[in-house]
Amino acid sequence: MNMTAIISIKNLSKSYAGNKAVDGLNLEIQKGEFYGFLGPNGAGKTTTIRMITGILQGDEGEIAIDGGSVHDKKHVSRLLGVVPESRGFYEWMTASEYLYFFANLYSVPKKNQEKLVTALLSEVDLLKRKNSTIGTYSRGMKQRLGLARALINDPKILILDEPTLGLDPQGQLMMQQLLKKLSSAGVTIFLSSHLLDEVSRLCSRIGILHRGRLIVEGTVDELKQKTGMKDLTEVFLHLTST
Amino acid sequence: MFTHIWHKEIRGELYTWKSMLWLLISSLLFSVTCYLLLTNKELSLLDQTELLWLLGKVIIGVGLLVITVDASSIITTEFEKETAESIFLSPVSLTDFVLGKLLAALTLWFAIFIVSIPYIIVASAGSHLAIPFIAYIALLGTLGVLGFVLLVFAISLFFRSSKNTLTTGLIILLGLSIPAVFSSTLKNDVVSQIISHANPIDNIFSSLDNVLVDYKVSLLENWQFIVPLVVFCLLALGLLAFAMYQFQKQGVIRSE
Amino acid sequence: MNMAKTLITTCAGIIFLSFAFVAYAQAVPPPLSIQILSQNTLDGVAGDYVTVKGQITNAGTTTLNDVTTYLSLVDTGTKLPVDLEDWSAEKGLYIGSIDAKQTLPLSWQIHFVKAGTYSLIIVAEAGSNEVPQVSTITHFNVAPKKNLNPGQVLPVALGTPIVLLCILFVLSYRRKIEE
Repeated sequence: MNMTAIISIKNLSKSYAGNKAVDGLNLEIQKGEFYGFLGPNGAGKTTTIRMITGILQGDEGEIAIDGGSVHDKKHVSRLLGVVPESRGFYEWMTASEYLYFFANLYSVPKKNQEKLVTALLSEVDLLKRKNSTIGTYSRGMKQRLGLARALINDPKILILDEPTLGLDPQGQLMMQQLLKKLSSAGVTIFLSSHLLDEVSRLCSRIGILHRGRLIVEGTVDELKQKTGMKDLTEVFLHLTST
Repeated sequence: MFTHIWHKEIRGELYTWKSMLWLLISSLLFSVTCYLLLTNKELSLLDQTELLWLLGKVIIGVGLLVITVDASSIITTEFEKETAESIFLSPVSLTDFVLGKLLAALTLWFAIFIVSIPYIIVASAGSHLAIPFIAYIALLGTLGVLGFVLLVFAISLFFRSSKNTLTTGLIILLGLSIPAVFSSTLKNDVVSQIISHANPIDNIFSSLDNVLVDYKVSLLENWQFIVPLVVFCLLALGLLAFAMYQFQKQGVIRSE
Repeated sequence: MNMAKTLITTCAGIIFLSFAFVAYAQAVPPPLSIQILSQNTLDGVAGDYVTVKGQITNAGTTTLNDVTTYLSLVDTGTKLPVDLEDWSAEKGLYIGSIDAKQTLPLSWQIHFVKAGTYSLIIVAEAGSNEVPQVSTITHFNVAPKKNLNPGQVLPVALGTPIVLLCILFVLSYRRKIEE
């Protein structure tokens, strides 16, 4: 494994009832990279993300996060901020209470919590609704809250599974601007998305997963050259049509 | 770490009215029971000791039922409402998670016990049984509730479904409660006696009878009922430990 | 014709013998008798205990064995017999032997369980050879117990749920304020 890579995946496989969801995946994400992880529905993207975050056990292979094993929960939870596919919230909590709860779980010192929670809510434009219960939030507001929660521990690596799904254009723009800002600040971002336009604008490198295998990897220009296609959409459709 | 889970659960139960409604229902059941029992005592149909024994059975029975229902959903809703993933992405270990939930379930039992105290005092008026009654409800109820919570938590981790957990938990509770209400004349054969000695609910009721009717209040005089309860708790803890091991092998998201 | 005459004669004979037997039975008084000495109407309130006193006599010339008395209580309002479960511990009282011309005093403690009007009779029997004897009827008038607050339970029975409801509303109100 490449020891400078912040996420290192080697020969990772996972099957569900005899069907290979992830098949011998080898992938390395460099520190500070903004990596786009693409694939059609059922390609294995969410499965891969869940194995990277330690939520799901792989059948074979190894994953290392910043040199440490993915099974070292304390090490991994310190480094990772995750916006997962499942978007469950405690509907009876207010946004403030929700972030304070996770601040406590991540052992953020009490004296820093108020400032941190206020800053995060401001960042995701939820400060005015901080005392409203999450049950009254729209889908987009919940997703923004999910991003705020993912940033509560000031992570080195941010993993996002379809973070802009269901957001209106303003919401998508806000999210994208925030991600750019984080990337500029040196946070490594691993983004899984179906929005190819978003990925091609934000990501420095892209990997395309198809039927559990990483079929191609590179910058947008490299992918266009390899396949002879005009844009990322054509590249994607060409590679995943079989 | 588990204290944050515990506090979150308590606040959730208060703000969603869940625990307050359970307490209100329990209180109404105790009110009706106490009123009927004292009316019968007024007609001299019941001795005070028999009245207290009946009240004790109702308090323990209500406690076990409420806690079984509550504990059936306290873990499983995290999976059903998809909040488990974000919890387990944090530094919270499975042990912290389960311990926090356990304390939340026991806190509800403790609240039911506190609500029952005024009823115990009014029913025990004129006798010397109030303090031993309260003490043994606390001891026996806590051991019984603890055992059931551990058992239901183990089932929760196996099934990860509140409906299946609740059904199984209630079947177990019913299965143990029904033999416990048989009179002693139906427990004369060897098999019935073995079941009776092993049945935690039977032991709770028998110990209450020993304390209230026969006035054998010391722990030494009730060891034969308390030890099986402790064994029940230990067995349930063992099952929970196994369930936690299986859960960790399968991961938060189970392979389908 | 002869057949018919024989048949009619036989039937008449049987009927005559039956009447004779009944007349004989009525002519000879039974040796066992039971009398109630208390008032024939007793009043009380639900929850009270009363004692019904009586005596049992063997007026015959030989000892009577296996003498037993049984209580029978009827609710005159509903016209139904009452389950004596909590009313008396002496539902069946085994006396044993009573010598000839002996009289034994008896008493039954009755617990007024429920308000209403009742009729009590006591049946006495001596083994299976004698006809059972029945006492006179004793009437009970049981008034309802009018204590709505036995053992001061009402403040607790009503107060505890009310307090919990108040706590529920306070929590709800505070939560709305916080939001």
